Amino acid sequence: MPEYTVLTAIAVLGVIAVEVFWLRTGILRTAQYWLAMVLVFFFQVWVDGWLTKLSDPIVIYYPAQFSGIRFPFDIPIEDYGFGFAMVTLTLLVWHRLTRTEAR
Amino acid sequence: MHQFEYLLLMAGCLLITLPLELVLGARVYARWRLMLLALLPTVLVFSVWDVVGIIRLHWTYNVDFITGIHLWVMPLEELVFFLVIPICALLTYEAVGTVLQRVRDWKSKGSDA
Repeated sequence: MPEYTVLTAIAVLGVIAVEVFWLRTGILRTAQYWLAMVLVFFFQVWVDGWLTKLSDPIVIYYPAQFSGIRFPFDIPIEDYGFGFAMVTLTLLVWHRLTRTEAR
Repeated sequence: MHQFEYLLLMAGCLLITLPLELVLGARVYARWRLMLLALLPTVLVFSVWDVVGIIRLHWTYNVDFITGIHLWVMPLEELVFFLVIPICALLTYEAVGTVLQRVRDWKSKGSDA
């Protein structure tokens, strides 16, 4: 399996594991988190679409290292796992920090 | 001008999400110390991933659209990306929280009447 694909899967599972076994914030069960993620993914399509467009790419992906599936525009689908892991990790830590501070 | 394209895209992201702090009371920048602390694990983990991706030839960057300033092998723009996008996500999360709270307040007011 391509390396970027494997690393993406590890990152997604890793972040979920951080929540389930360590931080236990519970945000993955809230409407606030999922609504925010819908908005994040909507805007990711435009920003990531611009970064990865094959006509004038800012980031260039080596075809052998990812699934080869690009959707929509020219976005490698692994990028959504990358984005999920990056954003979720940040929100988990933020939630833990801010909700502890308030008490 | 082209070499600033990636940075300008990031500036655009900060600009478009600014009303979430100013209008919807996200209070993310207002708590900037906590914000930076929350970003720290993300910046570290994803910078390492980025460097692995560059070294293992998963991806590379178009020299036409970056400044050419690098932190070892990683373009400066990538560090900016790992700060800007999570900030946008925090603003979105808190703004959604504000809106949901307003909806709850409005509903409870409605049921009192």
